[in-house]
Amino acid sequence: MTLFHWIGDTLRQQLDQVPLSVARWLMIGLFLALMFWIVQLPSTVTNPTDRPAKWTSDLKIWAWLALLIQIVIYSVF
Amino acid sequence: MVIGLWVGSYVRSGSDFFLAGRSLPWWAIGISLVATDIGGPDLMGVGGDAYRYGIVMGNFAWIGCIPAMLIGAFVFIPHLWRCRVTTIPEYLERRFSVYLRSAVAFSWLLLMACNLGVMLLASAIFMKNLAGWDLSACILITALLAGVYTWSGGLAAVVYTDVLQGVVIMGGCLLFVFIGIQEVGGISPLMEKIHSVARAQDQLDARQRERMKAPAERNSDPEKPRHHRPAHESEHLSLVLPVDTQSPGPWPGILFGLGLIVGPGYWIGNQCIVQRALGAKSEYEAKASYVYGALLKNLIPFLVAVPGLIALVKFPELGHQRADVALPQLVGALLPVGFRGMFVAAFLAALFSSVDAYLNSATTLYVNDFYRRFYRPQADEGQMLTVGRWTTVGFVLWGIYFAFQLLAFPAGIYTIFQTLLSFVVGPTLAVLVAGMLFRQASSDGALTGYVAGLLTAIGLFSLNQPTLCRWLNLKPLFQVGQPYLYYSIWSFLVSVLFIFVFSYFLRSDPPEKTRYVIGGLNPNGGAV
Repeated sequence: MTLFHWIGDTLRQQLDQVPLSVARWLMIGLFLALMFWIVQLPSTVTNPTDRPAKWTSDLKIWAWLALLIQIVIYSVF
Repeated sequence: MVIGLWVGSYVRSGSDFFLAGRSLPWWAIGISLVATDIGGPDLMGVGGDAYRYGIVMGNFAWIGCIPAMLIGAFVFIPHLWRCRVTTIPEYLERRFSVYLRSAVAFSWLLLMACNLGVMLLASAIFMKNLAGWDLSACILITALLAGVYTWSGGLAAVVYTDVLQGVVIMGGCLLFVFIGIQEVGGISPLMEKIHSVARAQDQLDARQRERMKAPAERNSDPEKPRHHRPAHESEHLSLVLPVDTQSPGPWPGILFGLGLIVGPGYWIGNQCIVQRALGAKSEYEAKASYVYGALLKNLIPFLVAVPGLIALVKFPELGHQRADVALPQLVGALLPVGFRGMFVAAFLAALFSSVDAYLNSATTLYVNDFYRRFYRPQADEGQMLTVGRWTTVGFVLWGIYFAFQLLAFPAGIYTIFQTLLSFVVGPTLAVLVAGMLFRQASSDGALTGYVAGLLTAIGLFSLNQPTLCRWLNLKPLFQVGQPYLYYSIWSFLVSVLFIFVFSYFLRSDPPEKTRYVIGGLNPNGGAV
């Protein structure tokens, strides 16, 4: 048994105590945190600067859609 | 091939060849990113692994890609585009030092060159199983066809052929999944059958593992009871698996390894992927390509993993050992001749889209980070184009040679290269994040961190090898079957630690280096 084995075993035992439902919520939480971050980005970052912006060219919407689909998938499976 | 040669007629310079003259639109890059990521071997490998372990393999395209692509889209990719670099190692020299540039370029070049041979061989094996084609002929034809249009058109040819290939891949796989689900009676019957077949296989597998243990080991390390799931359910339809799962997807590895390190490292640090966005028309188009790619990524596991699950229901007798032949067998059994041709076309498209991408990126790394940097710094655009094309020829020949060499190796070679990827990804991400986000990170710290990360990953891999463990009288370090995600986590953490400790104690970098952190350049690439 080396120090590495001890660290690994300790971590494994601790992580094994975490219920899978909590692990699932951590994953969904990652997507929610990203949604929160993206909605706060200034519109100059998510729109083209060289032409008039339409709603379809706002990347926030599409990034949100991608994350929303992920939340549904990780809630179901 | 016609598209590739046609695009090639517009290529006049090294810049056209390596970055498509910075003219690529977001939609083409987006499809190309996704098509490249589903290589032929991945199509076969993910299908086989979905047969063995279930939909957990979908994590590699979902949580392993989408968060990383979105963070990349809004933070890292625009900065690399502003820096007007051709390769990621080139950025690392501007921010840190030529030593780090060479170390990173060499690691990735080695990986890409090996991957070329692996892709050619794995795909040839698939075609042999499916259509009975000759293995050597498959390797030669694939390498030569992809080589000719990559030689001619460079990155633009790669991206525009990827668009067509991406449509064929998604269309072909969608049709295959649709026919497969119809064949087993619909989605609900499919899910019920997956649970019953997979549960029986899991129990058989657990009994076999128990039998293979020594009596003392049986008492000290008994099979753990499943405490997270009803008795009739298998793990095959769950994305979140316990710590001691036999699949490569325990939840800590998926969340902390794949989601936070391997995914970002791959989408921000892999030249093969980032090069497309560097060839975008504008900073906005570079961002849009990644966001569009992330949207498409939602669909991919349904196309590549579900066939493996259908194969599990149709051919439960194959078992875990022969899961890799499940997909070709399913194609042969399920599809009538015309549709079978369409799926083969989809598979070939997936194969070409990966081989051409790795060919072009390996060439770009060699020509920009070694030939031009050390041998001919004054090389003009015409010379760069000529050298780029001849280097492509060299990599085609190398890929063919290496694929034939791999024939002599036992099965599982693809897993070895996934493991090699995990060695490089963590340290590369660490130096990129430190370089882009922290002015305090110094070139000496970054180089030390990169080397320390690589050595950590290799050390952990070694300490998990049964032969070495028996010799040292130790048990393997990791309990999961394929711990490559954990190598990435630890190598990343060690890299970060070394970067910051050594940056604190050693000399700091001058302002002409630190201006390459995010926010240090204006949209035209000048200092703020």
